[in-house]
Amino acid sequence: MERILRVNMERRTVSFEPVPADYRERAGRWLTSSIVHDEVPPTCHPLGPANKVVFSPGVVTGTSAPTSSRISVGGKSPLTGGIKEANAGTGWARRLARLGLRALIVEGQPSDGSWWLLRVDAHGAAFERAEAWSGRRLSDMFRDLYGRFGGPKRVDICAIGAAGEQRLAAAGVCFSDQDGRASRYAGRGGLGAVMGSKGLKGIVLDDSESSDVTIADPVTFDAGRKKLAAALAEHAITKPKGALNTYGTAVLVNILNEAGGLPTRNFREGRFEGAAKIAGEAIFAGNQERTGAEVYNHACSPGCVIRCSNTWHRPDGTDHTSCIEYESDWAFGANCGVDDLDVIAELNLLCNEYGLDTIEIGDTLAVAMEAGVARFGEGARAIELVHEIGKGTPLGRILGNGAAFTGRAFGVVRVPQVKGQGMPAYEPRTIKGIGMTYAVSTMGADHTSGYTIAPEILGVSGKLDPLDPHKTDLARNFQYATAFLDSTGHCLFIAFAILDIGSGFEGVIEECSGVLGASWTMDDVGRIGKAVLDLELDFNRRAGFTAADDRLPEFMAREPLPPHGGVWDVPDVELDRVFAP
Amino acid sequence: MVRVYLYGKLRRFAADSDPRTESICDVPAEPGDTVGTILKRLGIPLEAVGANLFVNGHYADLATGVADGARVGVFPEDMQLLYKWYFRAESGPA
Repeated sequence: MERILRVNMERRTVSFEPVPADYRERAGRWLTSSIVHDEVPPTCHPLGPANKVVFSPGVVTGTSAPTSSRISVGGKSPLTGGIKEANAGTGWARRLARLGLRALIVEGQPSDGSWWLLRVDAHGAAFERAEAWSGRRLSDMFRDLYGRFGGPKRVDICAIGAAGEQRLAAAGVCFSDQDGRASRYAGRGGLGAVMGSKGLKGIVLDDSESSDVTIADPVTFDAGRKKLAAALAEHAITKPKGALNTYGTAVLVNILNEAGGLPTRNFREGRFEGAAKIAGEAIFAGNQERTGAEVYNHACSPGCVIRCSNTWHRPDGTDHTSCIEYESDWAFGANCGVDDLDVIAELNLLCNEYGLDTIEIGDTLAVAMEAGVARFGEGARAIELVHEIGKGTPLGRILGNGAAFTGRAFGVVRVPQVKGQGMPAYEPRTIKGIGMTYAVSTMGADHTSGYTIAPEILGVSGKLDPLDPHKTDLARNFQYATAFLDSTGHCLFIAFAILDIGSGFEGVIEECSGVLGASWTMDDVGRIGKAVLDLELDFNRRAGFTAADDRLPEFMAREPLPPHGGVWDVPDVELDRVFAP
Repeated sequence: MVRVYLYGKLRRFAADSDPRTESICDVPAEPGDTVGTILKRLGIPLEAVGANLFVNGHYADLATGVADGARVGVFPEDMQLLYKWYFRAESGPA
């Protein structure tokens, strides 16, 4: 039977509780947002004792469903002051599900500044002191823990780095990849700082004596799993040696650049002259040159068939860092005016080591460059600045609190953020649809809130004319569908295949129904997505958010963006209609 | 002249196909040109081309008109990651 593990960091106690009847169908983002909504006072201080960190694997996580090893992490965000769900692909998610845990809730905080490690296995959960890893690089901590508890085949690790220990708002929650690297992040919104505020340095999961995840209706599950697997294997983007497997998510660099929507030098321009040097194609070519072989990407987590996670190699052919995602590549590259993949790789590595969100830090470095702390394109200085964060110097603490905080510290007006969260790698003046998502998302500026999903599936038109009133429906339905997928445990990237191959989407529904013994249909996608968003919107409303928070920064309405010369011109009334039709 | 930027496996149709640079073909414009006619003139099979086509950075399709001085960006079918419903395709004469 599935349970919830509640961990109290004040008393250092653990308790296993049954899953409440109301939560029977809920997992992943649906469950983390439900628990945060139901248990965390919306006006609490995000770093105080009343906030919680909630982990939940998705509905099908831990099963043989392809590309489904996602972990959702929830809490009140110290970056935005609102609700947060950030998710990552990692074997840690699979082990949590196999341990029979639908959720793990961390609450309270120690009063003595102590640091703790929690170890969970089939027999229970136990604490031990973790001061030994305080201030150290996450790769060192992971190496020690694998030495103690068994290698990456036996355990997976979740941990915070120096940034989380300092309770910096750009601190992410780091998870292990399949090779034991400290590289998979629930990065956004500062949940690493919340974990740090609880004195929790890490959680090691060992499922070696656990049994398989219970599947209520194996026949339905299996039929669904096969449909999804077939769609993923067939689609040009998700199949082996397809775009994602070959070029990684950074394939998007050239595409956004061509569209004039690649934010460049702190969102001053929409096209970067150095894009080709940092794009996914350049990563593939560079790796081939340095290793003497075609290097296709690896799976970030067990059971992923898309395998989009890259490794960048040093000139001598050894590993430099994994993974240079599109967003990280852009954040340290185009957005900082840097066209050198070795610099981007080093910045990515340092964020992995210090436990930082690469998007927020890329935005922050660009704002710091705007302020004259460094020059655009000055890679060596950018690397020094990230070290400042790791060291906890006064400048580092400013930068480690993100783009909005840094903008205030230096009196910078051009700060690309919504609700205090730095913008990802899509320029809203070029791509109005994603600008709407940034504006109204419960998460702050977040591309994954409404990144994908066929409008056809939800019955809306695919056309997005800036004057078309249907775009509010589109922005809303994108977010509902994404919230649904974030609750299944599947990676958002299955959307590429299931949009084009309808049986793939049916397969997802059948997998979930099979695991839960439910009878979901396509209609449940909207129902569940709306339920998730309603919880999050209610939390944010009670936390004090108003329509005034659902806005893009003023400079985007004022400054035309090259090459198109467009400004942000979606009327406020349309933004307000997204969730209040 | 129309300047065509090719990506992915379409780079082989350009003189410089190194993926770390820009793979460019310059094509003289003719009256009535579209993305499709330009690609045909370059010998690029239309079935190798995906939905991520751009004229002067605007989302386009094979029927989109192309005038002298235009920049055309062409991604192969396995790179069409940008969702077309974020944009309005600008079809018809230039």
